[in-house]
Amino acid sequence: MTPQDSAARPNLWTRLQAIDRRWIYLVIWIVVMVPLLFPFPIKPKPTTPVEKLFSYIDTMPAGKALVISVDFTPDTRAELQPMIVALLRHAFATGRPVGVLAMAVYGLGLGEEALSQVTAEFNAHATTHEDSVINGEDYVFWGWTTPPLTVLLGMGERIANVFPVDYYGARTESLPIMRDLRNYDDVGVLVTVAASAMPRSWIVYGQTQFGVHLGCGITAVSAADFYPYVNSGQFVGMLAGMKGAAEYEQLVMERMAKNKMDWGLRNRGTEAMSSQTSAHLAIMAFIIIGNIGYFATRRRKS
Amino acid sequence: MQRKLPLTIVLLTGIFGAVAFFVPHGAIRSVDSVFRNDVQRIIAAFSLVLGVGSIVQHHLIKIQRKATFWQYSWITLIGLLLTAIIGVFGGIDPNRPGILPTHIGSFSFHIQTIYSNMMVPLAATMFSLLAFFMSSAAYRAFRARNLEATLLLAAAFILMLGAVPLGRTIHRELPAFAEWILAVPNTASKRGILFGVELGVFATSLKIVLGIERGWLGGGGGK
Repeated sequence: MTPQDSAARPNLWTRLQAIDRRWIYLVIWIVVMVPLLFPFPIKPKPTTPVEKLFSYIDTMPAGKALVISVDFTPDTRAELQPMIVALLRHAFATGRPVGVLAMAVYGLGLGEEALSQVTAEFNAHATTHEDSVINGEDYVFWGWTTPPLTVLLGMGERIANVFPVDYYGARTESLPIMRDLRNYDDVGVLVTVAASAMPRSWIVYGQTQFGVHLGCGITAVSAADFYPYVNSGQFVGMLAGMKGAAEYEQLVMERMAKNKMDWGLRNRGTEAMSSQTSAHLAIMAFIIIGNIGYFATRRRKS
Repeated sequence: MQRKLPLTIVLLTGIFGAVAFFVPHGAIRSVDSVFRNDVQRIIAAFSLVLGVGSIVQHHLIKIQRKATFWQYSWITLIGLLLTAIIGVFGGIDPNRPGILPTHIGSFSFHIQTIYSNMMVPLAATMFSLLAFFMSSAAYRAFRARNLEATLLLAAAFILMLGAVPLGRTIHRELPAFAEWILAVPNTASKRGILFGVELGVFATSLKIVLGIERGWLGGGGGK
């Protein structure tokens, strides 16, 4: 073999630089799927924004409602739906009235899905009327209406005007829960769970004009956009991505255990943590290999 | 007149919208309430009709002209029609069906069933493809080429490690450091960007209200 042949033949790093992307896809598929099928236990420690939201809801004055705005679409369901479920569990476990609405029309099905799941969990363990979670008494699903500005500002005046009928077609005024849930004044905190800029609209219209307390649940990729609002106190707390959901789930589980509600419920956010951890590690390994290959190739060229 | 009328409406409603936000007078509030609760809803209802009309027209033309992939337009139109019929007549609560039966034996085609079993997996599949593209892009493009890129790389590494519980195993303070990056340097830069963006939004809104920016009238261009 001549020196020219050796120089022309690509070495390991050069070949790695030009690797077929399908190999990368295969590795990612494996590192996501295997931990989903065989999860390893991970218990995330709650970060400050998550703890703040949890303790705010936990210590709200009695009778003040938790309102959840489902502002995302099914594409981000895996990341955001566990937040809705955990928030609902927390509210029902502590006896808070709950109002749910959707700012995105696709959010209707997600809201309905979460409510059906959590009410079924609580009603399966209920022995009395007080233990049960009843539509119209303990929670209300207002549904969706358009345009968003009508909802954001109208809820500050009279919620029943914005949503004359609930998602199931009942007159909102006739529901017992609505007697003490007239407008933002009766809302302890409104948590907007979104994969868009909707939390900012809640601040601009709902909070600036009516002073409603807000929290948010957002995708991990948009967390950086909302930290300024958490730092300024405009959001009482924030759940960022699946990790935020998992942290909140841990806090809710502890709270429910304290209330003797240790029912062994599934926590989708926590379950997905092992998969997310593996994927992050794989991506970091890709970056390291890619950079080693880049420097090795550059040195060879020079 | 064709241009003056919409410009006048935008000018008046734009000024009124701003005034109503800052002046808490009863009369202004009640007019504002009519605008928000009635007028805007009527406009929104028209936009829904326009949206449905537009998508139907677009696909009918595609079918008529036998454009590329025209066969898929039939799927869109049939899907639109079927889900609309099921949604409108099948009822919202699966336990209280509407005038259209949505179950045949154990087979359900209720709107919530369609949503949970078709819409959700389809949308989630599209979004999860991002993980594959992102990994490939990280492998090929995330290089420590210069100081700025190296800093970005280091910050990304710390944040990725901080975002998974493993970060704490590596170092107890790693998640706290990742949070500090988000809460302090990130917030500082984001605030600057946000100020710029909001000033830009304000300037553009003002230009639209005052009729300087007229691109929304159609026909392209500013003036």
